[in-house]
Amino acid sequence: MTPNPPNGAETVLRAENLTKRYGDLLAVDRLSLEARGGEILGFLGPNGAGKTTAIGMMCGLLRPDAGETFVRGRPVRGGDPEALARVGLAPQSVILWPKLTCLEQLEFVGEMYGMPRPDARRRGRELLETVGLAEKTNKLARTLSGGMQRRLNLVLALVHDPEIVILDEPEAGLDPQGRVLVRDYIRSLARERGKTVILTTHNMDEADRLADRVAIIDRGRLLTLDTPEELKHRVGEGDVLEIEVSDAPGEAPGPGGGAGHPVLRTLEELARARSGVGAAGATGAARAAAVSRVGHIITLRARDAVNLVAAALDALRSAGFRPGAVHLRETTLEDVFIAFTGRSLRE
Amino acid sequence: MSPVRLLSIFRKTLREQSRDLWLLALSLVAAPFFVVLYWLLFVGGSTAYGVLVLNADRGAALADGTVFSAGAELVAGLEKVTYASGSPLLRVRRASDLESAKATLANRDAALLLVLPEDFSEGILVARTRATPPGSPAPDPPAAPTVTFIGDLTSAAYAVSSVLTLATLDEYLRAATGQTRPVELAEEPLGASGVRTEFETYVPGLLILSVTLLIFLAAMTVAREVETGAVRRLRVTPMTSFDLLAGISLNQVLVGVTAVLLTFGTAYLFGFRSQGPLWVAVLVGAVTTLSVVGLGLVVAAFSRGVTDAFVIGNFPLIFLMFFSGAIYPLPRTALFTLGGHAVAIYDFIPATHAVVALNKVLTLGAGLGQVAYELIALVVLSAVYFAAGVWLFQRRHLRRR
Repeated sequence: MTPNPPNGAETVLRAENLTKRYGDLLAVDRLSLEARGGEILGFLGPNGAGKTTAIGMMCGLLRPDAGETFVRGRPVRGGDPEALARVGLAPQSVILWPKLTCLEQLEFVGEMYGMPRPDARRRGRELLETVGLAEKTNKLARTLSGGMQRRLNLVLALVHDPEIVILDEPEAGLDPQGRVLVRDYIRSLARERGKTVILTTHNMDEADRLADRVAIIDRGRLLTLDTPEELKHRVGEGDVLEIEVSDAPGEAPGPGGGAGHPVLRTLEELARARSGVGAAGATGAARAAAVSRVGHIITLRARDAVNLVAAALDALRSAGFRPGAVHLRETTLEDVFIAFTGRSLRE
Repeated sequence: MSPVRLLSIFRKTLREQSRDLWLLALSLVAAPFFVVLYWLLFVGGSTAYGVLVLNADRGAALADGTVFSAGAELVAGLEKVTYASGSPLLRVRRASDLESAKATLANRDAALLLVLPEDFSEGILVARTRATPPGSPAPDPPAAPTVTFIGDLTSAAYAVSSVLTLATLDEYLRAATGQTRPVELAEEPLGASGVRTEFETYVPGLLILSVTLLIFLAAMTVAREVETGAVRRLRVTPMTSFDLLAGISLNQVLVGVTAVLLTFGTAYLFGFRSQGPLWVAVLVGAVTTLSVVGLGLVVAAFSRGVTDAFVIGNFPLIFLMFFSGAIYPLPRTALFTLGGHAVAIYDFIPATHAVVALNKVLTLGAGLGQVAYELIALVVLSAVYFAAGVWLFQRRHLRRR
């Protein structure tokens, strides 16, 4: 678990009513948020939710149709060099110069940000060391493996020592060792160097481990923004109980069958009685997910769920189900994400 | 604009180019290679035009018992037509019959077929004996024998060989019949054009070729930045499109000037000599490079990748090569007059001025002052194309949308 950002930390990036439209598609809809100094802000959303467009507007890559991003109070829209120099972007796709060496790339990008060449070179060496590419310093980028290229892609955003680092899917395409290395590095950027890190990811585990706060967006709109713990709390306190069941007698077989079976209401009452409350504070969507069924899995979220297992199994048997495997786990950020964004595919 | 960023981009492009040796080598040696090829094609420095002679002349007996063979004398005269260097201008061969001679023409193994009739010598003798002193009444004109010229009238080689043959024939007839011209004709070569070998006349065109091909290199180098997404990464830096394009262009100009120097160097090795100061010709080449690179940037602005750049680049290339007068002259229709110079539509093509300027310097021996107009035009066009390239590239690839 990561600590919360320091209370009262200064706002370094402020997005105000960012709106972007591509033809009929409203990609980002009046998005407003603030990123504080030294925090890691996770930016979550389904495919096509508008994450990349939103961060594109935050770093100055895209011009918003309405709204503005301010970096330390300076607007990004006009390409203000000082505002741009405070932000570093590691794009989702690997963008390198295949015929430059690792060090030459860093030196070049550093110079584009106005760094003196010797400084850019020194900083480049440090960064290559940090992400385990020191041995590849003088190797051409095209000779690197995919994972190495991803790490190089990441540090290219950092060569000018920006105050705000925006990472679009930084762990995509990395092997487990690479993920751990990059995750530790991102954490150190915020914790040890005081950088503000904004990262988009589909990896809920990554966001849960790294982010101080998590923003969930869908269809271009910000749905929620809070710490992972608070979000989990809001979706439903306690644990998650998953019970594998057979089709109930008389219900239509298959994944959609039994989704509205009366036993679900029985289980929900059990869960509420155990929790003592009705998931206070959660949104309607989140509350409705306290008990749900998808295919042959019934999911039940409740405080002290371990003591609910026997009663839940009895209720299922009484309703004619044959319970199978039972899994008990803590509420995860993925549960939060599904609760807010639903289960339907977007793309 | 930042000179530091510009130089950094220049250095980066230079590094990338040095690691793409094939492309660099092809850009640098294309024109020198063609110089060598042309030299090999024009052995002795110039073309010899193929003339077939079907000599049916049976000759004519003279009073002293000897035979007068005008056809043979004419053929011998044609064989003596040479360049100032002594190299033959006409490659004269005897044809045995009309059909095979025409087949040879159709295969372009010769440019002209000259048919001398049976009574060629007799006709000359008749004309010689009937020559009347001034003031005497003119006798009835005899039935003159017909000399026939056969060839492909659309062929430039036919045009040259027929003019040369006609002039030789005319000269021979005048001498053989004792006639004099009512006026004398004189030819005065402009500059050193009279002593230039054909190989030398092709060198300026090859030089233009070496510079023109840069349009691909310039466009593709910039388009690669778009294709790889590098422009997207650079768009979030304070770099401007001028920094990017000027840095890349500087590199391309360096390549272009090197190619120009290599082309001249190779040409010199094979006997080419400039009539004017060579540094002026190099300057013309360098400034032309600037304008071609500017056009390359315009191409890059419309390209989403290297393939696009290559395909789109062909369009201005055709203008540069075929509408500039580098390959063949085109009719000029003046749009307006500027400082005493009639400006035609082709004058908006940089290569037009380069061709004129190089011809003036290399062939006519002009100096800097005599090509000032062309140089100024090239500089203005370079600035216009470069500015257009920067503006278009900014709008299409670097603008925050």
